[in-house]
Amino acid sequence: MTPRTEPDEIVIALAGQPNCGKSTLFNAVAGFKVDVGNFAGTSVAFAETRVTFQGRRIRLVDLPGTYSISSHDLAEKVARDFLLSGEVDALINVVDASMLSRSLEFTLQLVEMRLPMVMCLNMMDEAQRKGMEIDTSRLEELLGVPVRTAVAVVGTGIDEVFRQAIRACDRAGSAPIEPCYDRDIEDALARLLAEYPDSVRSALPLSERFVILRLLEKDEDFERKVQVASPEFLARAGEERRRLAERDGRAEPLALGSHRHSLVLDLYEKVVRHRRGNVLGTREKVDRFIIHPIGGAITVVGSLLLTFFLAFFLGNAIAGVVDVPFGALRASIQALPSGVGPAILLGLFEGVVAGAGIVLPYLVPLLVLLAIFEDTGLLPRIAFMVDGILHRVGLHGSSVVPLILGYGCNVPSIMATRTLENPRDRFVTMMVAPFVTCSARSVVIIALAGKYLGVLVTVGLYLFGGLVSMAVSYSLTRSKRRKSLGVIMEVPPLRRPYPKIVARKVWLRLREFVMMAWPVLILSSIALSLLSYAGTDATINRLLSPLTASWLHLPVAVGIPLFLGLFRKELTLVMLGAALGTDAIGTVLSSGQIFVLVIFTMLYVPCVATLAAQWREGGWRTAVASFALNLGVSVGVAGGVARLLPTA
Amino acid sequence: MTLLELSEGEIAAIHALHGDREARRRIESLGLFAGRRVCVIARAPFSGPVMVEDVVSGARVMIARDLAGQIEVTGDPANGA
Repeated sequence: MTPRTEPDEIVIALAGQPNCGKSTLFNAVAGFKVDVGNFAGTSVAFAETRVTFQGRRIRLVDLPGTYSISSHDLAEKVARDFLLSGEVDALINVVDASMLSRSLEFTLQLVEMRLPMVMCLNMMDEAQRKGMEIDTSRLEELLGVPVRTAVAVVGTGIDEVFRQAIRACDRAGSAPIEPCYDRDIEDALARLLAEYPDSVRSALPLSERFVILRLLEKDEDFERKVQVASPEFLARAGEERRRLAERDGRAEPLALGSHRHSLVLDLYEKVVRHRRGNVLGTREKVDRFIIHPIGGAITVVGSLLLTFFLAFFLGNAIAGVVDVPFGALRASIQALPSGVGPAILLGLFEGVVAGAGIVLPYLVPLLVLLAIFEDTGLLPRIAFMVDGILHRVGLHGSSVVPLILGYGCNVPSIMATRTLENPRDRFVTMMVAPFVTCSARSVVIIALAGKYLGVLVTVGLYLFGGLVSMAVSYSLTRSKRRKSLGVIMEVPPLRRPYPKIVARKVWLRLREFVMMAWPVLILSSIALSLLSYAGTDATINRLLSPLTASWLHLPVAVGIPLFLGLFRKELTLVMLGAALGTDAIGTVLSSGQIFVLVIFTMLYVPCVATLAAQWREGGWRTAVASFALNLGVSVGVAGGVARLLPTA
Repeated sequence: MTLLELSEGEIAAIHALHGDREARRRIESLGLFAGRRVCVIARAPFSGPVMVEDVVSGARVMIARDLAGQIEVTGDPANGA
């Protein structure tokens, strides 16, 4: 649902490579008034906002971070299509100044689009720290677009960038000059420009030079479009490209690329001077530690422990405090005379409480942790350390952080899969995530296994849970036809986290949970309350009895606690005592039965909030697939155990 | 010689990228193309990726070991290697 642009608005797009600080710049302007949407027909998310600047109404669109425009990657294609849609009035190219040599190639491609454009050299402080001196006025001259500097994290330079963007809009039409390639390319361009057919001109209302450059780069998207308008011209462009490739002794698709590389190197050398940087600062030392095998192991284990600590100590402590005021309110609602109204009220109340019980104690601390992992650059370094192990079970190193967070709560872990670029890896991680034992299920495990089966069995169950996750991941990735490409990932420099930026990230993600998952929780809670009012408890138990009694060898009465666990995992424990008529579970269930029940609780279906998060992040198919997978695995494993152990 | 054969800290220039086209494109878009001077700064355990630094810009990229084995480099004379 892309909001349309209103008549007097101008559209400004932010384009840049991942980690260039684009979103920081965006947030500095947007404040908290951000709309998050998807590009039509894709699952590529973007943020946009409406702001008024210098009396002009601006629709500001934050495009997904991309490394280039010559693309096969979905996010890159989406970003490019939007830029070329004719909807964009001006473009701000945000660049990490400290990585200028790498970013310039993308900038050059954007310049070639000939949209009104400003280049924003962000992270100037970082560049200076590295000993780089950038001659911005020379860069401006060479690229033919205004270049402004900024440090978005502290907010300097941003106003000036927008002032320039608006000026660029107003000047639209006066095409800037473009950097020239070497003779070989410029000659080929000139020949093709002279033959440029009208049919292509009317089919593609874009800069002609840009279209030709795309063809010289063997851009399949453009080839298809030109093929329709003028097959002869496409053949001519192919001829020129072949000639270039032969001359350089390179593969055809790389014919233009190598010339662009040298153009970029040349540009870079003209505008940047390196002073001798201060070698091995503290950050560099910390970095060396993290990517060292031993230091890395300490870092990874430390992050895992920190997550555990947040979920169990902090989380459970907050949960205890949150529950107190609700307890009194619950009692007074339960004291109401029974009826449909109070039943709905109770359901509504429990739904709100369940949401608060996830958001405050677990989601907030874990999302803060995730934002810090992301912002400091720790995330890719952890990925680097564990990629080797995870690769064996079909996952990438980048999946590890979402999975670690899963030990606290599966909801932030599903949200964190957004850090995975590849849709296949993201899907697999979302499917594996619910197998990670979240703190709510840990409560059940510790209360039942810890109390009745002993510490060793409890620890064993945790290890077993980890093994099941790995086995699931292994079999999921084995059955996928295409083998995943090995990891290729940028490792941004370590930075200290900025509280303002962390807060914004947490806020945006929280808002998504509140808008998406919470209503689902409340609705299902009301439905549940009505079911129980209608006296369907016995019916549900009977319906579930083939599973609970015949297959798992458990008492029929555990049906309701398990059913409620779908809604909130710890409810299984809370309701178990009520369902069995005693809190001394050990007197009613044999050790074997408790073992089966705990294993089943660990593995069966994700809770409603997790399903809602999966729906939101990966579509309803992902949620349904995950539900079915968990159910299948839990029925298989717990049923198998029930047959092996004496459960009578 | 490939990137994999470099010892840590040794500087070399990328000579050519081989192998899968999509992988090459991704590596190049991260700034590692023929002519760039690079060094390997770390290798992850369990046959994990290698971390490569572009000597000029300081940009770092991690590349899976098998893909790094398809990046051909030539030793830097300044290194004495």
